[in-house]
Amino acid sequence: MAKTLLEAVNIEVRRGMGVVLSNHNLLAKQGDVVVLEGANGSGKSTLIEAIARLLPLEKGHVNHGEMLVVDHEGRRKPSPLNVSLALQKNGALGSERVKEHLEIAMKMAGQSLDFSPFLDAFSLTHRANDCISNLSQGQARKVAVLAALLPAFASSNPSIVLMDEPDAGLDESSIEALCGCINELRKAGHCLVISTHDERVKDCATTKHHLPSGRNTPCEPQQKGDTSSHSTSPESPVSPSRFGLTMQWRTLAWLNQNAMAALLTLGILMAMGPWTDSLTELQQLGFILAPALAAGLCGDAMVAMCREERTNAWWRAVSTGPPHSGVLPFLLGAVVTMASNFALVSEFSAINMFVGALLTGITSHVLRLAHQSTERLARPQAVFIGLLTPVLILPYALLLDMLTR
Amino acid sequence: MKMKVGEALLLFGFIGIALTMMLAFLWAPSVSINAFESPAAQRIFYWHVPSAWAAFIAFGVLFVGSAGWMFKRSELMWRLHIAGSEAGLATGLMVVWSGCVWGAAEWGTPWDWSDVRLNSFGLLTLLAVYLVLGRGSQPDGVETRDTFAAFGLYGFILVPFTYVATRIWAIRHPGPVVGTDDGGSLNADMGFLLLFGTLSFTLLIVGHMLTSMRITSFEQRIEALQKTLDGGV
Repeated sequence: MAKTLLEAVNIEVRRGMGVVLSNHNLLAKQGDVVVLEGANGSGKSTLIEAIARLLPLEKGHVNHGEMLVVDHEGRRKPSPLNVSLALQKNGALGSERVKEHLEIAMKMAGQSLDFSPFLDAFSLTHRANDCISNLSQGQARKVAVLAALLPAFASSNPSIVLMDEPDAGLDESSIEALCGCINELRKAGHCLVISTHDERVKDCATTKHHLPSGRNTPCEPQQKGDTSSHSTSPESPVSPSRFGLTMQWRTLAWLNQNAMAALLTLGILMAMGPWTDSLTELQQLGFILAPALAAGLCGDAMVAMCREERTNAWWRAVSTGPPHSGVLPFLLGAVVTMASNFALVSEFSAINMFVGALLTGITSHVLRLAHQSTERLARPQAVFIGLLTPVLILPYALLLDMLTR
Repeated sequence: MKMKVGEALLLFGFIGIALTMMLAFLWAPSVSINAFESPAAQRIFYWHVPSAWAAFIAFGVLFVGSAGWMFKRSELMWRLHIAGSEAGLATGLMVVWSGCVWGAAEWGTPWDWSDVRLNSFGLLTLLAVYLVLGRGSQPDGVETRDTFAAFGLYGFILVPFTYVATRIWAIRHPGPVVGTDDGGSLNADMGFLLLFGTLSFTLLIVGHMLTSMRITSFEQRIEALQKTLDGGV
């Protein structure tokens, strides 16, 4: 008997001031293709995001397999199953390469496969090494769709595939390839939940789930698409910090944001001339560490970067959290403090470097968490989170006092 | 037009505060010139301490409103959250600027970045600024309310922290002068005026919050009527 892979029980989800889903149920077993039908605004995307654990529930709970993964009391646990996702936005940064994004998506499932036949089927082979920002909208959409399909193909265990309007902007041959993939995954025992307005994709359904009523209509799916075997190899998942470091290295966003703030602060201090000898020890240390603090106060460039195409939401759904810069701010703080130590007092101090590293690293990550806490807002960039940053001056002042006492 | 309770309390509060300040300048006894660098500036104490008391009430209401919204999804609690943040902003700024004026006269500096009490209270005020301005920048909705209510809840940690800060870190801000084990350092007239000022500020802040809740309720009604006109729910 087919195992239940996905179950949403009496869920209620609010968006804005309205209740979008109320007392809603959804059940999907191995080999099910549930197509969500309904008018614009009926809650199809909301349902997909709720079962992907991206939206908080007002009531009810969602199970993946037999495990509760999100409920109305705020519990949010990692899924025991492999979950892959294509949101309405593509969930990939423009600086990622096509091949790289697909490899990351598969590594989240702990497996990898040779995906060149899929690139062929979606006419992307010639673009495999291109940055996603160089692709057309339709091509970028194909990459997002493949990032949802490939982890299931690579996985030997039953997977949940969630796709929100995967057909949007796709050409005829790609829709045909998409339908073939859906049928193949269904036959392999995975479960798919797809929101679509395209009749060809709807023909792949084993169940049509109507929104907002929640009524299910069983269907006979088209039989196109063969089950082919794919040789897979085990891979370890990519952590959000590793991805963040790769992107920071490639885009040099840290240089533009954090390092420049530190250099400008150091430049201003140096422009005042050789005056540090007349300062007290506390004042001297304060000036040496000021560039490191300035670098940290600029926060983590990955937060703003990952708002592009809802990359942060994609990572939250498939990984442990949104990407971040990991150890980079700590390294930057050490280098900046070494430079300011030399520039201001012509000395090398390992202790100052260590303190500078901690100062930049901790400040940057605290600000990242503060910024990420506003991600649910409709306009996160318009919120005044910078108003809370002066609190970081107190630990800085206490630290200086402690080190010079 | 008939005056509501909130407006009446606001009026009594204003009158009481004006009286407090008048008595502080004309009647309250002077402090010892040996104990203070600037004894005349000490009279700002009758404004500074009662407004800090009112600020703690406002932040308490903010906490109750935030928790009520998070756990009960109650419109009344959301109105409390709004009233608490606006009142916290008003009284927080009163405390900070009066403290800066007093500090400049007494310590020779309006602010000390290494003093825990000053900074934790400063952050509470900034939190209120953040909540008031931030809410204005976002459309009303469950996402906006959840986010700001979470900040309101976390921010309340600062209230007991601010309260005990001078007991743990006696850096620059003085410790408590009433309610201490040795009976405090205020004489009876000073104590009376401080109590009168505290009551006046309490009336003002309660009136402010009641009025603010009423205004929010009107805003919500207007929004609901607009939605009806739009053809929505």
